[in-house]
Amino acid sequence: MNKTDKNAFVNQLLVYTLVMICFSGSIGLGTVWLRHQISVTANNTKLLEQRIVETERHMSELNTQITEEQTIAVLNRRNADWSLGLVQPREPQVVRVNESAERRLAARNNAEVFASENAVVTPVRFRLPTIYR
Amino acid sequence: MSKGFASNYRIVLLGFVVLAGFGGVALRLVDLHVLDREKLVSYVDRARRQITVESARRGDILDMRGDTLATSRSLIVLGVDPQALLKEDEAKWPQLATMLKMPLADIEKVFNEKTRAAAPDDKSDEDRRIRWAKLSEEVEESTYDQINKLDIKGVYGHRTFRRAYPHDSMAAHLIGYVNKEGQAAAGIESYADFYLRGQDGWRESEKDGLRRELAQFRTREVTATSGYSVVLSIDSAVQHIVEQEIAEIVKKFNPAKVSVIVSEPNTGFVLAMANYPSFNLNEYNTLSKDEMGSMRNISITDVLDPGSTFKIVSISGALNEGLTTPAARFNCTLESIDYKGKPRRFMRDDHKFDHPLSVAEIISHSSNVGAAQLGMLLGEDGVYRYARAFGFGEKSGFPFGGEVSGFLNTPDKWSGVDITRIPAGYSISATPLQIHYAMAAIASGGVLMRPQIIRQVRDASGEVVYNFTGSVRRHVVTTRTAEQMARMLEGVASPEGTAPMAAIPNFEVAGKTGTAQKLINGHYSEHNHVGSFVGFFPASRPRVVISVIVDDAKLPNGRIAYGATVAAPSFKRIGEQLIQYMDIKPVIEPGRNLLVMDGGRR
Repeated sequence: MNKTDKNAFVNQLLVYTLVMICFSGSIGLGTVWLRHQISVTANNTKLLEQRIVETERHMSELNTQITEEQTIAVLNRRNADWSLGLVQPREPQVVRVNESAERRLAARNNAEVFASENAVVTPVRFRLPTIYR
Repeated sequence: MSKGFASNYRIVLLGFVVLAGFGGVALRLVDLHVLDREKLVSYVDRARRQITVESARRGDILDMRGDTLATSRSLIVLGVDPQALLKEDEAKWPQLATMLKMPLADIEKVFNEKTRAAAPDDKSDEDRRIRWAKLSEEVEESTYDQINKLDIKGVYGHRTFRRAYPHDSMAAHLIGYVNKEGQAAAGIESYADFYLRGQDGWRESEKDGLRRELAQFRTREVTATSGYSVVLSIDSAVQHIVEQEIAEIVKKFNPAKVSVIVSEPNTGFVLAMANYPSFNLNEYNTLSKDEMGSMRNISITDVLDPGSTFKIVSISGALNEGLTTPAARFNCTLESIDYKGKPRRFMRDDHKFDHPLSVAEIISHSSNVGAAQLGMLLGEDGVYRYARAFGFGEKSGFPFGGEVSGFLNTPDKWSGVDITRIPAGYSISATPLQIHYAMAAIASGGVLMRPQIIRQVRDASGEVVYNFTGSVRRHVVTTRTAEQMARMLEGVASPEGTAPMAAIPNFEVAGKTGTAQKLINGHYSEHNHVGSFVGFFPASRPRVVISVIVDDAKLPNGRIAYGATVAAPSFKRIGEQLIQYMDIKPVIEPGRNLLVMDGGRR
């Protein structure tokens, strides 16, 4: 190609212009595609966030329902409805274990080891926290 | 030589067209971006920019065991855009009405109302198109899922949180409530609002023509921070026991007011505080004007004459100052006595005593004459000083609810007979909480504790942010005096005392009855009384302090509502249940066989 020829120069300019247009177009299309991808990703993220929020909200609702079902009034009602007959224990029904149950069981099963030891009795004392003395 | 494919003329024409095209685009760009910029930018801002607020979840209020007393429930405010409704969706409207539990006619009315009349000041004078009409404020998540499955175009909702109180009226005066506007209005809700409320988040982004958010244009985002949870010292099981007992008292005696308080003596933590009348936290807005009084926490807002429960003040004071001993005896048959050169007439005792009473008997028989003589030993200044030391005449520091300080005159304002009245619990007034904590001072070994209601503050993940511990207000009497008082107060619940019905076998109940005539129109009424029993057990190692105060109980045949009759039995019933629930061990071992421990073999 004769670069000094006027027409040839114009042709080159035309070609470069077309190349530039194609190049710019490619960049433009690339940018649009990138933006689209950003949009798709952002929307997916948004949907995920929404699902997390919805799940948390469902959990919150469920927790509230569980709490309501566990209130004393509801449990009492269930006790009556289902004729369970559950009542609080009364003092005469209670036997208090004031010593270590494990130690007592161990002593019973290993009588020879504990034979030499006396039974441990914890006396009752009037006690007040030292900070008040 | 190459000439190329184009002539000069064509090239110039093509160049001109291309340049003209670019030029046109450039001019339009200048027009849009420079000349009309401000107008267009503001239009775009208005049309596309949006700021979405994300509500923070308010923290829960829990009892000491972790049971939820107040929580935030997720609800959907459901509405419709009538402009977006489709004809083919009309068949789904009945299903929607069923889900919302609304009459179909109501739904149709909302759906078919497309415009709203222009406001009087609207210059355009054109009806405005309705783009949002509310259908329901309280749609649950599960229901909303079903509504979404119906896929009715134009029906959609906004998520919000509403406060829910699973136990309804339990501990209503302590918990308080959050109103419909989301403002914490009373109780712990209001007091601990700083911890509970959390921080709303927000998001700045753009929206498309269908008002959908364009997530890719989010510019700034601040996530919502959930509020902290507040753990109270209240135990819902204890509170329930107390409220059940109040219901029994109301059923039996039809009183005007009842207050019951349960606390730990050594820490000052309140385990239960309940009043009658009360209200349902979930229905606070349905109360009539006349019923608004039931929202008052009368344990701290209302005052009454403490009556004989106040006798612990003058007796403790006299013992603490070494002016007397538990065995010292006083003539309690006197009608008057000379004090500071003037005869002072005593308040009459209900019983006649055939022998001088010891200090222990003055307490157990609740002698007004004996208490007055001990008060005289202390003198006006001494009685006043000890009354203040026990917390009368000043606010206890209960953190919310409009606490009042009660009424206790300084000695210079006392009348001539006040030295015989005040040691017996008259001519002063106090709140139920003051009376309770005065007794708790004896139970804690002579230390007046600050009433505490919050144990912990926790963050959303359950980590403890702050721990509250017991707080001492002051030392009132010595441990020895407190111990002597505790032993003498046991006599009240003995067969010889004024309240044998308060005794719980093997558990050393110590307490004091109180029966005060009510001051009505400036005169002490013969028919209206405040009966109370305030005590603790076991006396030698107190675990729990209980106050039962019954105002204006009605007894058959107009009988007097003595504290021993209307309050002491309730103290016992509450105490018996607490023994099991709190595993309070008897001081005096009942001496049962050990069959259970021996696995059934002896």
